[in-house]
Amino acid sequence: MSIAEPDSRQGAPAPKRRRFARLDRFSGNKFLIFGISVVALSIFLAAFGAAISPYDPIEATGDISVPPPPIVEWPRLFYLAVSGQLERPPHWFGTDQSGLDVFSRVISAPRADMSIALGGALISLFLGTFLGLIAGFYRNWATELMMRISDVLQAFPVFITAMILVALAGRETGNLVLALVLVYTPIFIRLTRSEVMGQSARGYVQAAWAVGNYGFKIAVKHVLPNSLVPSLVQLSVTVGFAIILTAGLSFVGAGVRPPTPEWGIMISIGAQQLILGEWWPSIFPGLAITVTVFGYAVVGHAIEQKFREA
Amino acid sequence: MSTAPILEAAGLSVSFRGKDGSETVAVDGFSLTIRPGEFVGIMGEPGCGKSTAAIALMGLVRPPGRISAGSVQFLGRELLTLADEEIAEIRGRDIGLIVQNPRTSLHPMLTVGNQISRVYRAHNKVSKKAAWQHAIDMLRMVGMNDPERRVKAHAHELSSGMTQRVLIAMAMSSKPKLLIADEPTSGLDVTIQAQFLDQMWETANHTGSAVLLVTQDLGIVANYCDRVLIMAEGRIIEEAPVWQFFEAPEQDYSRRILATQRQEGDGETIRQAHHGELEDAETIVRIAGLYKQFPIRGSDKKVHAVDDVSFDIRRGETVGLVGESGSGKTTVGRCLVRLEEPTAGEIHFHDAALGGIKRAAFVPYRKAIQIVFQDPFDSMNPRWTVEKVLTEPLDLHTDLNPELKRARVVELLEMTGLDAALRSSQPRQLSAGQQQRVVIARAIATDPEFIVLDEPTSALSPETRIEIIQLLMQLSRKLGFAYLFISHDLTTVKYICHRVIVMYLGQVVEVGDKDAVFAAPRHPYSKALLASHLFPDISDRRVDRAERVTLEGEIPSPVSLPKGCYLYGRCPSQKDACANMPQELRAMPDGREIRCWRVTEGDLEDAQS
Repeated sequence: MSIAEPDSRQGAPAPKRRRFARLDRFSGNKFLIFGISVVALSIFLAAFGAAISPYDPIEATGDISVPPPPIVEWPRLFYLAVSGQLERPPHWFGTDQSGLDVFSRVISAPRADMSIALGGALISLFLGTFLGLIAGFYRNWATELMMRISDVLQAFPVFITAMILVALAGRETGNLVLALVLVYTPIFIRLTRSEVMGQSARGYVQAAWAVGNYGFKIAVKHVLPNSLVPSLVQLSVTVGFAIILTAGLSFVGAGVRPPTPEWGIMISIGAQQLILGEWWPSIFPGLAITVTVFGYAVVGHAIEQKFREA
Repeated sequence: MSTAPILEAAGLSVSFRGKDGSETVAVDGFSLTIRPGEFVGIMGEPGCGKSTAAIALMGLVRPPGRISAGSVQFLGRELLTLADEEIAEIRGRDIGLIVQNPRTSLHPMLTVGNQISRVYRAHNKVSKKAAWQHAIDMLRMVGMNDPERRVKAHAHELSSGMTQRVLIAMAMSSKPKLLIADEPTSGLDVTIQAQFLDQMWETANHTGSAVLLVTQDLGIVANYCDRVLIMAEGRIIEEAPVWQFFEAPEQDYSRRILATQRQEGDGETIRQAHHGELEDAETIVRIAGLYKQFPIRGSDKKVHAVDDVSFDIRRGETVGLVGESGSGKTTVGRCLVRLEEPTAGEIHFHDAALGGIKRAAFVPYRKAIQIVFQDPFDSMNPRWTVEKVLTEPLDLHTDLNPELKRARVVELLEMTGLDAALRSSQPRQLSAGQQQRVVIARAIATDPEFIVLDEPTSALSPETRIEIIQLLMQLSRKLGFAYLFISHDLTTVKYICHRVIVMYLGQVVEVGDKDAVFAAPRHPYSKALLASHLFPDISDRRVDRAERVTLEGEIPSPVSLPKGCYLYGRCPSQKDACANMPQELRAMPDGREIRCWRVTEGDLEDAQS
């Protein structure tokens, strides 16, 4: 460290450390493009998924438990569907035991899943960053009390807390978001607080006082912009976990009400059919969750890389 | 003394292979002969290959480097072709190595006695018990007090000075013929540094071993070395006996580093021209009875950082505040600019009493009272541009329109010798010297009257240091700033200050005119501090002095302060009465102030003359 630092200060291009060359390649452009695409697609489907789905996601078709067409057939089916030679669109992912089109439900589900997960995570980010900034900048009994409360909140298992809250307050979307906020805000408080405390000891914050700034203005103007990176990285991870939590709550029946298209409900319903060999109603929503969570994680990793250099 | 060389290196080259297969030559044709009893210094800028060359003499190179050519004869044996086991036997037994960072060189989980005796047993067939006893003896030899207790300590229980002594004890445990020391005293306080180098010099002289010292400090070279090698870009560009090097350096480069480190040039004339004007200058800053205590968490004890400090500063004056780390000098500076709340005491700025006022009420005075920090990069918001950094004080204290602010930023950059084009750069794109210039520009943006300079040059290279000092002096002369120059670098203090304040353990022990204090320090601590400081001057080498004034041991903890004189226990001229007699700072007839009853009552002066 003592050797590397003067170099970078002289403004010479410091040699980039390549200790984990493999990991670097892993986080390279291809993965980043994948991650960004997933994030973009998830938001797009949250807005327009229901509108572009080939079938109504909550209305049964006549076909019950139809398996998806074999994958080699898909190009031909796609061509036929686009050229209007089919009288009904194909059931790409098959149908479930009630005759609902799985594909339509998978692409309509982000409306519920993403709005709850993104909403919960973003509100947690803003609230947690703000409270963490206060807690890290002013250290007195009031902020200590706040930290102890957030410790207590964090001490409960995430899933149990959310279940209890939803059970008490009702299975409304707003309550689900509130549950996520209660569960995830303490993480952002703690992250921001420790970063703010570290940054406050830095010379530039001392210099900000010496130049003539005063009070909380220093926290907002100098400390906050330099304390955001850990929270931004955590945001994308949190969105991933929030998706899993939302789906998980629905899976156990404490989340979104059926028949609203939602990945957790789909897995829950589809899982009962697995024993009959009907894998498609549950596997496709499961894959959707996996890909989405992974995509957000990749973007989070990229944010971290980007801002570490700066 | 035999004159057969201990070590003879010829044409030693070290190269590093890059990822793309290219070879970088770090050391090129290094040749050196060391004879018994010699103290040889290697100097050069950072990155010139001096450390690499020194450890390559032991056949060691950090990967991915390799020794590409040359030979090293050690007592007549060729080292570089020896098998690994054979050369390992020589390292540690016949060649000792002391590296730069003592803290990270010790194993954190083993006692120091264990580590010293392991090294000793690796080369000598002795019992564990005998090796343990040897470790105690070695610790005693390197001046560690209470070695029986310290031998059982772990690295984290020791101060950095003691850790460094453990390393030297380890390196010398087998009485090596050659000791290679790579900047062994960087980061140590001057009194500890002097103790340590004295120890090495004694050992080399008495046992006929030799020392090879890698350093950037001309003071160390001037005071201890017999011979000096100057390296640049991997080559030796000059090799000369130390007196010849200082009297008549051959190379331009050598002349330049000599000039910068000796701080020649127009320094004296600046000072003299300045001096006369100050006689009737008004006092602008006056502090009286300043205390600062830091409570220790989870205990009712306190760290007494500043303990009854009083002094004043006149318009345009530069006052040096010197002392070792832990003396409280930085805390005094921080209290003056209200980055710390003083526990008690008065701070006057002109007629305004600022000691007790609220932090918010201090804000308007920040226009006139500024500070420059030690680490320039750290003291700027890393995400801001230079322009934004320099505009901030203007936004806070002036109501100039954006046009005028931009003009002022350009003017500030010009005043501090920077190109106006740099204003859109970010701090990390600037060199350390440029960064410090920006920080200075920020400090002078609102035309302050008084600036605290908190070790403004200690993070800079020797050449940049002198440029910054010259800039500060030039600004003060032109704009009439008063400075409180906080530093442990006495060479610079001697060069720029009008008056000097010496602090020890939170107290002022001596105040006086710079020339008077440097010519004849009177407080025992000031004497030891000045005697320990290694001025780059070969006319008064520390090793040639009949009596080397040192302090015993280390600075006591500021948590439980001594009852009487704070220097009791370390002072070379203490009397029993000092143990229980708190000392007061008394003014002397000649205008100096001294905190020692033996001096103020004429007792000590009599004893010596």
